[in-house]
Amino acid sequence: MDAFYASVEQRDNPSLRGLPVAVGGDADKRGVVAAASYEARTFGVRSALSMAKAVRLCPSLVIVRPDFAKYKAVSQQVFELFRSVTPLVEPLSLDEAYLDVTENAWGERLGMTVARRLKDAIREATGLTASAGVAPNKFLAKIASGWQKPDGLTVIAPERMESFLQGLPVDALWGVGPVTARKLRARGIEKLVDVRTTDLDGLRETVGSLAAWLQQLANGIDDRPVVSEHEAKSSGSENTFARDLTDRDEIRREVEAMACDAAAWLVKRELYARTVTIKVRYHDFTTITRSHSEEPTREEDNIVRRAVMLLDKTEAGARAVRLLGVSVHNLCTELSPVEIDPQPTLPFEMSEGA
Amino acid sequence: MELVVRKNELLRELQLFQGIVERKNTIPILANVLIEAKGDEIRMLATDLEVALRSRCAATVAKSGSLTLPAKKLFEIVKALPETDVRIEEDKNGVKVAADRFDSRMQTLPREDFPTLPDATGKGRASLPRNALKEMVAKTQFAITGEDTRYFLNGAKFVLKPDSLTLVATDGHRLALVEVKHEVGITEERGVILPKKTLLELGKLLAEGEGDIMFEAGENHLFFEVGSRMLISRMIDGQFPAYERVIPKGNDKDIEFERERLTNAVKRVALLSNERSRAVKFEIEKGKVEVTSSSSEFGEAREQLPVDYAGTAMTISFNAQYVLDFLNVVETDIVSLSLKDEVSQAVMKPVGAQGYDYTYVIMPMRI
Repeated sequence: MDAFYASVEQRDNPSLRGLPVAVGGDADKRGVVAAASYEARTFGVRSALSMAKAVRLCPSLVIVRPDFAKYKAVSQQVFELFRSVTPLVEPLSLDEAYLDVTENAWGERLGMTVARRLKDAIREATGLTASAGVAPNKFLAKIASGWQKPDGLTVIAPERMESFLQGLPVDALWGVGPVTARKLRARGIEKLVDVRTTDLDGLRETVGSLAAWLQQLANGIDDRPVVSEHEAKSSGSENTFARDLTDRDEIRREVEAMACDAAAWLVKRELYARTVTIKVRYHDFTTITRSHSEEPTREEDNIVRRAVMLLDKTEAGARAVRLLGVSVHNLCTELSPVEIDPQPTLPFEMSEGA
Repeated sequence: MELVVRKNELLRELQLFQGIVERKNTIPILANVLIEAKGDEIRMLATDLEVALRSRCAATVAKSGSLTLPAKKLFEIVKALPETDVRIEEDKNGVKVAADRFDSRMQTLPREDFPTLPDATGKGRASLPRNALKEMVAKTQFAITGEDTRYFLNGAKFVLKPDSLTLVATDGHRLALVEVKHEVGITEERGVILPKKTLLELGKLLAEGEGDIMFEAGENHLFFEVGSRMLISRMIDGQFPAYERVIPKGNDKDIEFERERLTNAVKRVALLSNERSRAVKFEIEKGKVEVTSSSSEFGEAREQLPVDYAGTAMTISFNAQYVLDFLNVVETDIVSLSLKDEVSQAVMKPVGAQGYDYTYVIMPMRI
């Protein structure tokens, strides 16, 4: 959906139409922008910006308090439409989903036609516009959906895939945030297609266990199915060792590797986790778990750091260890718009050892 | 084992073990103090595996030996006894702790279960001036975070150079650094991260007594010999952030305050600051600084401080607690605040401090 919360507000309150509107908290109470209308976006106002900053960028900004019950109701309407076309609907958030329309209730042969009909149906039912991307896989469909907003429809046919990929910057990859993008650029990787020819080990130094996955994506290969419900409540791995481990460094390396796997899983599933848990079973079978929760994340560094911190709270090493496990819980599909901390941090360069 | 020890002497040592022993009781033996009686003294040891303390106290030993007793219970009992001799005696049935007409029998745990701790080797020892070290600990330990996941911030960086020692702590929002010039008797620079608990306990050990502290950094452990006591600490593994780089060099606006007046003003004005952010504003103009606050719930406050300042006017906000933490540990009459602009790190320093150089860096708030 285009500028979802803001569009709903403009639909329901005609006096807001044509005006720069931001849905979110008060500027003087450290609120943040949850959604900005397209009028507001021309001023540089976008979601996750502090409302105070948004008002500075756009003094005429109209701030509307969010009404999540209302957005949820509209969202349900839209998802009902989706599900009337295909049972394979994978929600990403209140206003975004993947649909596998290979088989569809309308019997349409072209994905593009399904998308056009769905956009029309959404407009008719809700009075709102949506943007769609049609492509052979999820990775490309997501990029395509953002290509021409608002009210956009972008189709990447299999034969056009290569030329489309050629034009993309490296940030288009999932799991590549601004920080990783900067690191990749420093290695001379500017465009998505540069990832293809990068040596896998070198790539691993920058993006860790995601390297192989990113290389696949750079080749336009993404075989993840559209999963209709997020069944998973957690993910993780456990390892029972052939011999008990007593070397702290070795134990730490095992935990780090499992934490990397958990982070990679989150990226692939497009999820974020609030909680990191480790499990330690000592040689005498006493088993303990330690958990840590904070803002949702899928960052590998963050998850590894927390897993190791939790490990330090155990007696692993001092007592021989027969099993180790790392898992992530409290999953969510989007980063909640958090209030911006008015206390900035000292500008440390946290890259080393952080 | 059988011995007699003066109540007050035993109590003084047991008091110091109270902060050391494990509270969470995950490993029962860590709640105990190991007591070894030999010659004319008893030696005691307790640890939570992060920090350990060894100490000793004079005693009349009738039968040497060693045993472990719960540190907290033993302390409570000894504290409650009259000022007299305490008898500790092990027999087949357990450990008897008695004094005067009081008699008790305490549960013990096998001495063999007590962890072994490394010993100082005497190699690469440094001699640290007691008073300076005391200052360093007091002036930095409040800036260590409690539960940061960047676990290297759960400690303070201790840097020893042949002619100086430096202690730095930061929670990411502010940073406290104390440097003392002193010939410490080493030839090579060495930097280690001390856990928060180590600093806390070291601070307690330094509170009384005289004489230099002997310091040694082993492979995984650090040793502080304070008089007859030895504090042993695990080192925190990790990379402390490059703190030198966040200490600003080009702050060109300097303001000096009378410490007490500033402290009082910030304390009073902070009462009406936003309860969560605790922000106070410094509205700086020619000749005066107004410290102000406002809370949507309770109202607003301001207090004017005359200062000698002729630069451009500006306004900068700080977490009041961060400012007070600094003001509470300095003793000089005058403190300085140097600024660049409203968003860059500010530096506070005591003016005219003797024997040490104290730098306190605060990140201003966005308000």
